[in-house]
Amino acid sequence: MTTTSVDTDLLLQVDNLTVAFGDGPGSVKAVQDVTLDVKAGEIYALVGESGCGKSTLAYSLLGIVPAPGRVTRGEVRFRGRSTTTMDKTELNKLRGAEISMVFQGAMNAFNPVLTIGKQVEHILQAHPEVFDDPKDGRAYFEHLLGLVQLPPERIWSSYESQLSGGMKQRVAIAVALLLKPSLVILDEPTTALDVLNQRLVIEILNDLHASLGVTIIFVTHDLAVVAELATRVAVMYAGRLVESGTVDEIFSGGRRHPYVEALINAIPSVLDAGLKVKPIGGSVPNLARLPEGCRFAPRCPLAEDGCRKAEPPLLGDDHDHLVACFVTNRSLNGAREGSEA
Amino acid sequence: MSLLEVTNVTHTYATGSGRPVLHGINLTAEPGDIVALVGESGCGKTTLGRMIAGLHEPTGGTISFDGQDIAKLKGRQRKQWRRQVQMVHQDPYGSLNPGLTIGSTLAPGMLQHKLANWRNVQDKMLELLEQVGLDPTPEFLQRYPHQLSGGQRQRVSIARAISLDPKLIVADEVTSMLDVSMRVAILDLLLRFARERGIGYVFISHDFGVVRYFAQGGRIAVMFFGHIVEEGPVEALITKPRHPYTHMLLQAIPVPDPKMARKRTQTEEDAKGERLIGEPATTGCVFANRCPLVQDVCRKQAPKLADIGGGHRTACHFSDQVPPLAHMVGTTAGGDHDRNGSKAADADGAGDAVPVAHHPAGD
Repeated sequence: MTTTSVDTDLLLQVDNLTVAFGDGPGSVKAVQDVTLDVKAGEIYALVGESGCGKSTLAYSLLGIVPAPGRVTRGEVRFRGRSTTTMDKTELNKLRGAEISMVFQGAMNAFNPVLTIGKQVEHILQAHPEVFDDPKDGRAYFEHLLGLVQLPPERIWSSYESQLSGGMKQRVAIAVALLLKPSLVILDEPTTALDVLNQRLVIEILNDLHASLGVTIIFVTHDLAVVAELATRVAVMYAGRLVESGTVDEIFSGGRRHPYVEALINAIPSVLDAGLKVKPIGGSVPNLARLPEGCRFAPRCPLAEDGCRKAEPPLLGDDHDHLVACFVTNRSLNGAREGSEA
Repeated sequence: MSLLEVTNVTHTYATGSGRPVLHGINLTAEPGDIVALVGESGCGKTTLGRMIAGLHEPTGGTISFDGQDIAKLKGRQRKQWRRQVQMVHQDPYGSLNPGLTIGSTLAPGMLQHKLANWRNVQDKMLELLEQVGLDPTPEFLQRYPHQLSGGQRQRVSIARAISLDPKLIVADEVTSMLDVSMRVAILDLLLRFARERGIGYVFISHDFGVVRYFAQGGRIAVMFFGHIVEEGPVEALITKPRHPYTHMLLQAIPVPDPKMARKRTQTEEDAKGERLIGEPATTGCVFANRCPLVQDVCRKQAPKLADIGGGHRTACHFSDQVPPLAHMVGTTAGGDHDRNGSKAADADGAGDAVPVAHHPAGD
């Protein structure tokens, strides 16, 4: 597998996006000044702990940030068109057919009193532009069920209560692909699944990406899943992007944000007896009471006086591997700090 | 006589398919032992854990605690046993009563079991909060669960469990709903009580990474649809699994290393697709439908859980053919080094599972 994709067109651009909840002095910026580009054919991971803004960012891509949240600055462009300024009719056309989403907790994504088939029929009725004949839609859905390794006949007539958590997650993925979108956003697709169902979902997403050429953005807190699935990664902390790059750059251990380093070291891995594992002290700061300077400084083992005064800018190397850290970014100018935690 | 003896336990839920969820389970634990139950969703590990904690009664077989069948305990003895076995649940959001303050959550158990009286219960509770890394102030005792983070709630659950001075804690997926950054701190907290008070654990998880960290020096029992298919010392079972299902579980774990992940996708095909999920076989070996090593004999004759030496048991006709875990070999070298170091460090024994150098951080 190579990380270079055939089509390098920009599919989605997030430009200086800020999403705020509330007004005035009490307002909280769940996403602040985030800029990122997703190219067609990528599998893009948004990573962070809970409360870091990754789900809010994912919602803002579809224009479905729940009130009182709203985009206060910047924009999201899909194939060059701004979705932030689109009217409702245009957005509705975009949703499902161009960009679709699998929400966190697929267990609750279905209507419990309608069969899966009925719910798929409703989607097809709402988007008559995709299939000329609804029968083609059903046939395509059954084809997709095959791809997610489920028995098509049985699923069509099932109620969600008759399916296991892992099966529901895979049905939700098939539903998301029903209208042939070019971009699918998945919020925590492997969370709450056991390790075998996780592995299956990872395999399926890899296969769907290869066979349908669909671009995938997924949100997760699990760096191991990122390593298995993603081609590109953006790590968020307290609403800001702190690092982004290819999956190899993030895991190579070269220039790396100390938060990413800490997250990687916090995973008890089956690969070793776990004595190197270190928990991260403290927690994600309350967004209404952010610390002065770098937001990670209170938990950071490398923090210096300067880190508590100003927020570090996101700086890149020649390959667009971006890191927002004063200390690690010194290596960019050759003046590498010798201390490693 | 062991602290905990599960003998031939079988259970069938009254509703549903009528298929037993547990089949002839045998398991023992000595005081201070850490026994991990591992398996996929629906394998019966939580049901077994809840039975050990006395929340369900099995339809067949017996569970003994301190030499006495728990189903037959009465009066004061029953109350004693209730105190000595505690449970920490998976969901920190659902396992605390939302209408009770932290104080009202912690106090009744200690008062009921006369581990505190009205005069000193507040001090005891503050002591507990301190021990689990929470803010030991009277104000904190006035808080409600919804005012706490997931990690803080799980610490309250742990405080509630240890407040009764138990001998055994059933810990059911205690970290799976927490943020990655908090998991290790919670595990360390539980391990500290194992070390300081000799508390034993039945530790339920589907995550071998967490199990390897938590249960070092202990044992793992791997469950598949109500059967224990392999049981053995943690390191032996993880580095040299002798049942194909254990191998499959280990192989499925995502590793935080993209190069290793790609290499594995290219080289290892046996744990793919339909083998990962699916129903158990009804005749012969229960794993036969999904087993990459399956042969005719497996369809006819169910293998018994047999001892293969070193306290390691497996239920497989072809346990010697389970392949080594290729992608783990390169990295266990460093682990070995660490483990040897730790062996020397805790030569005094004392049921010390893991030498943990750091202190759990507050949430």
